[in-house]
Amino acid sequence: MELDNLKTIWKEQKIPAGDDQHDAEMLVSLLQERSRGPIERMRRNTRKESLLMLVTYIPTIAIYLIMFQGRLWGISLVMAVILVFYRVYYYLKLRLLKKMQCVSCEVRSNLARQIDVLGKYVRFYYWSSTILLLSALILAYEILRYSYREVHPRPTPVWWFQPGFLLVLLGPFALAAWYFNRKYVNKLYGRHIKKLKQLLLEMDEV
Amino acid sequence: MYGATEADRQDLFQEIVIQLWRSYPSFRGASRFSTWLYRIALNTAISDLRKQRRYITAMDPDLLPTQLQDIQYSTEKEEQLQQLYAAINRLTEVEKALTMLYLEDKPYHEMEEILGIPQNNLRVKMNRIKEKLRKMTKEAAYGIR
Repeated sequence: MELDNLKTIWKEQKIPAGDDQHDAEMLVSLLQERSRGPIERMRRNTRKESLLMLVTYIPTIAIYLIMFQGRLWGISLVMAVILVFYRVYYYLKLRLLKKMQCVSCEVRSNLARQIDVLGKYVRFYYWSSTILLLSALILAYEILRYSYREVHPRPTPVWWFQPGFLLVLLGPFALAAWYFNRKYVNKLYGRHIKKLKQLLLEMDEV
Repeated sequence: MYGATEADRQDLFQEIVIQLWRSYPSFRGASRFSTWLYRIALNTAISDLRKQRRYITAMDPDLLPTQLQDIQYSTEKEEQLQQLYAAINRLTEVEKALTMLYLEDKPYHEMEEILGIPQNNLRVKMNRIKEKLRKMTKEAAYGIR
């Protein structure tokens, strides 16, 4: 059977008129459900993560600031800095997710937009998680060093001792974080980007 | 045409309804309502980032739209129709979009507005799809896979 024959049958179809009330009820029930689209889910998860962070970090910062006669204020400071970093991170992430899709645009331009924004999102996700992780480690190290120096004041042997120590300590960690982050991000989004690129290529080829 | 199983198709239908509902306030009438509607439906179906399920390529009566199933055909014709549906199901997302617009009798200029592919390219692609479907149904009829 040829496609044109199917077209004829397709045109001949008499779609039975549905029960208006039943249809309206069905539509209402469909609209009451949440969108299960991947971008919408990513946005929901980001909002949840952001809220969870606020709920857990703010009381913890307050506890370290008030208790122990304020001696552990450094931990509060580190957590506050991390919280600010993450607020910026979530804001930028949500902004990118919002831009990712334009369902009422032409299919081709929507695909091109998704590839572009998803690429930016992946780079942003990858670099921000690596930088945030390393910043948190450096800050924690500096606070520990500062606290230790207060208890055991001792002059540093040579100027390059601290940077060198930090490099030896954090170097392998940074490399591991970079490697695993890259692998994780590729696993999460690599396949989708590839699929979108294939679709765009298919649309463009003559 | 999109979605390998009934559950997939239901999910997709729901997602399209939600997207239409959300996008309606931004509809300014710059294009025809049907163009806008098809854009939303196809964008939702094509660029879906969800995990792809395996396509069902066998002749499955469930692949036939409900209305077509209700129409009585001769066994031979029905079999051919099923082969054609199975073949359509094996097309790529873009090819399926073109086939659907073709079956809906959309003119090429409207297809261009929906998909963003120049009309000349669309004509070439459509001819290729027809040829591909012809080949696939012939292969299925002779039991070649």
